[in-house]
Amino acid sequence: MDEFQEILQDFLVEAFELIEQLDQDLVELENRPNDLELLNRIFRVAHTVKGSSSFLNFDVLTELTHHMEDVLNKARKDELKMTPEVMDVVLPSIDMMKGILKQIKNTGTDQDGIKIHDIVQKLDLISKGEDLSAGNKTAPSTKNSQKTPDAKSSGSEKTPVGGEKKESKEYVNDLADEPERDYSSMSESEVEAEIERLIQKKAQADRNRRQQKAQVSESGIEKGQSADDVDINVSADEKDSDIPVQHTKPAIQKAVATTEEKSKAIEKSDKAGDDPQKAGSNVEQTIRVDVKRLDHLMNLIGELVLGKNRLMKINDDVEERYEGEEFLEELNQVVSMISLVTTDLQIAVMKTRMLPIGKVFNKFPRMIRDLSRELNKKIELEIEGEETELDKSIVEEIGDPLVHIVRNSCDHGIETPEIRTQKGKVEGGKITLKAYNEGNHIVVQITDDGKGLNTAFLKQKSVEKGVISQKEADNMSDKEAYALIFKPGFSTAAKVTNVSGRGVGMDVVKTNIEKLNGIIDIESEVDVYTTIKLKIPLTLAIIQALLVGVQEEYYAIPLASVLETVRITQDEIYTVENRQVLRLRDEVLSLVYLADIFDVKRVFEGYDHTYVVVLGLAESKIGVIVDSLVGQEEIVIKNLGEYLKGMDGIAGATIRGDGGVTLIVDVAAIMHMAKGIKSQPMTTSETKGSKTKSSPSDYTVMIVDDSKTDRKIMRSALNPLNVNIIEASDGVDALTKLKSGEFDVDGMLVDIEMPRMDGYTLATEIRKYNKYKSLPLIAVTSRNSKSDRMRGVEAGMNEYITKPYSAEYIANVVKRNIGLE
Amino acid sequence: MSNKLQEVVRKQTKQQLKPTETDDVLQLVSFVVGEEEYAIPILTIQEIIKPIEHTRVPRTPAHVLGVFNLRGSVIPLIDLRIKFGVPMTNKSEDMRYIVLKDGNDTAGFVIDRLNQAMRIRKKNIDPAPEATSGNKSLIDGVGKQDDKIITILRVSKLLERDF
Repeated sequence: MDEFQEILQDFLVEAFELIEQLDQDLVELENRPNDLELLNRIFRVAHTVKGSSSFLNFDVLTELTHHMEDVLNKARKDELKMTPEVMDVVLPSIDMMKGILKQIKNTGTDQDGIKIHDIVQKLDLISKGEDLSAGNKTAPSTKNSQKTPDAKSSGSEKTPVGGEKKESKEYVNDLADEPERDYSSMSESEVEAEIERLIQKKAQADRNRRQQKAQVSESGIEKGQSADDVDINVSADEKDSDIPVQHTKPAIQKAVATTEEKSKAIEKSDKAGDDPQKAGSNVEQTIRVDVKRLDHLMNLIGELVLGKNRLMKINDDVEERYEGEEFLEELNQVVSMISLVTTDLQIAVMKTRMLPIGKVFNKFPRMIRDLSRELNKKIELEIEGEETELDKSIVEEIGDPLVHIVRNSCDHGIETPEIRTQKGKVEGGKITLKAYNEGNHIVVQITDDGKGLNTAFLKQKSVEKGVISQKEADNMSDKEAYALIFKPGFSTAAKVTNVSGRGVGMDVVKTNIEKLNGIIDIESEVDVYTTIKLKIPLTLAIIQALLVGVQEEYYAIPLASVLETVRITQDEIYTVENRQVLRLRDEVLSLVYLADIFDVKRVFEGYDHTYVVVLGLAESKIGVIVDSLVGQEEIVIKNLGEYLKGMDGIAGATIRGDGGVTLIVDVAAIMHMAKGIKSQPMTTSETKGSKTKSSPSDYTVMIVDDSKTDRKIMRSALNPLNVNIIEASDGVDALTKLKSGEFDVDGMLVDIEMPRMDGYTLATEIRKYNKYKSLPLIAVTSRNSKSDRMRGVEAGMNEYITKPYSAEYIANVVKRNIGLE
Repeated sequence: MSNKLQEVVRKQTKQQLKPTETDDVLQLVSFVVGEEEYAIPILTIQEIIKPIEHTRVPRTPAHVLGVFNLRGSVIPLIDLRIKFGVPMTNKSEDMRYIVLKDGNDTAGFVIDRLNQAMRIRKKNIDPAPEATSGNKSLIDGVGKQDDKIITILRVSKLLERDF
């Protein structure tokens, strides 16, 4: 049974790959109905699927493909002309085939659901009906010379595996003379033996062929000898077969026969002379890998990146501490080498997960063809940059949005030929799909030369539908008005059609692009064009992030969503209708405090200056106010686990260089959340004012010293002040006490030399907290060299008292520093 | 020679058979939250660590302290004292995080003090008192040992999101 599953999997993978190319070929075929090459390719798909499905006992699929094969075979032999009417039957039958394959993928059977009866009948009619008129066998003699360029223009050349594919086709041919056996009645071992035999046979034939080929390429123009090879070359290229044992019946031989009759041998043999060489240079070594393995590899790289970040942090610390030491140089070299290699490794693994966007673009020619027939419009599709690569997961996500945008462009953008001529445009509309790289992003651009977006009309429609108020509409910029098309429930279509007009499509676009942390940008000119630009980050797992500080917490914002950061003063913030806004150049940007979104307690007073991070996502923008900008860092996204999954506003977490966890902001979510938050402006010193200090006993001073005697001396010196005194025995102890929040400390006396954590480190640690930025720290030490004092100042000490000191002096210094009069 | 060998084999099989006895003994680890002693099956414990720094996660209930970094994994931290409504005692040296695992769910729990590892015979474990029984309850059962009883917690329930 397992073996069967394996074969089934292979079959499905292969079938879907074949089908992908098929759509494009079929559309191409309509333009060049006589292109034998295309016909052969299409025929082979139907044939392969039929063969495999009969082997796997998928009767429904077999029956359908069998009838398709009949029609296509007739066409191939020129007994049938591929008129649009015929295509209208063939295309749906291909769709149905896809449907059945999907069903097999999901349920493992083709028995229920999809009814093929009607289509089979139609196919039958075609193949029979046209039978009578068949007989017109005058194939254009130019056919052969067209073949190669044609195949290329249809887009198939982007997979440079021609040589390989050709060979794989030959395998099939080697076994073509095998009689069809009833494999279902064989036992497992028998089947295995049979497979073994076939493989050997194929290998043998393969060897022969290679020898033959070598001879051919040498002798070159000799027609008779090369004929066999040539036919295979001509007819075979789209077959990417992983299953050596194919049930390819003599059909291929038929194909060979027909081409032989018609083709001009000299042209062929010329080609044969070239082909082996091409095959030799083009063979690309590929290997199919389970995506799970790549994901695992990516995870491991993620861990490595975290380790690298940590190492770099440690390196910085060490550098600071042991400045000028020789071993630092060496350490530096190692660290930067590891950092470089890690980055390279990450890029390399990322690349293995990359797929050309052509995989998505491929389905559009067919779609445009169907739509233009349905809508009675003439639409031409131009595709550029289909070789642009991006992460597999993104390729999967981007398909739907593109479909919606393209459908929209066809339905709403491109006008009917009549209107276009009235407007003085060419009759046929054009849609351009373009992909290119831009920094760490990939840009997918969809342009149509249709009627463009009319802002006045958009506004009027949205007011009518209640999406926005009249007042909002009046204040809207053009860009904002364009963005209206993404609002759920918005549609400019007068009536709901099959194609669009329900007002959901563009909403889907927005949601999906948001999911990818992408940005949507629209440009348009009435009656000239509409361009929708999707800017999407290259990968999702490891990202660049901007670290921001809010009070004492840090958050990471994906850099892909950050448009810019600005430093502003409090009075640049205006309040309009209970919302805070900022005038940024010629735009009005609504603001939100990150602290409000994440319920961060406002412990310290606001500074004069604050930072605004301007975030852009999909089509909207928002300014997020933070207290500080920490810097840019490469982060690895980790999820928060089952327990905390799907928390509002949090996309995940990452581990920082120091081992701490930093949460990653979900930009899309906070944009939604921002709408519901009514923030009050940050009042200065709201907390400090709440508790007035009237008597000396309201003040608290902490003494940090490891020597009990010293603590006692200081305590007795401060006793006359009548302030509260708490003691800590070292830096760690002091920091814990301070952080516990039990004591409202107004000043600290800090010894420098202490176990566990010394005075300098303690001061540095304390100053990391915004809350204690201005807490008076007084160093009490016997170290009195200038460099010691300098270090004290650098660490954030306010005063420096050297031992020995008089009780009076220390009391005065404390008094002055904590502001006790 | 073969006799000896057989004897060895017999001995080994005997030893292997022994553990079947332990099947009706449950191995537990007990700990203290507030005044009360609780226990959890030893196999659900991934590890027990000393308190380390954690990061607050906004918009969560009070008993969810946040997340912490356990050798590269981000793990939620839940304070059982707040969850059980026990008054907060000051931080003590004995405080620990117990990291529990049930399937794919992992979380760390703050407890006041670790007590001991123990074996309780299954027959000495009573189901939870009726008022609190059912799968929804946090209490899996009540174990009797010598002169005291001990509450056995249901780990799957502890790890279930409760907000």
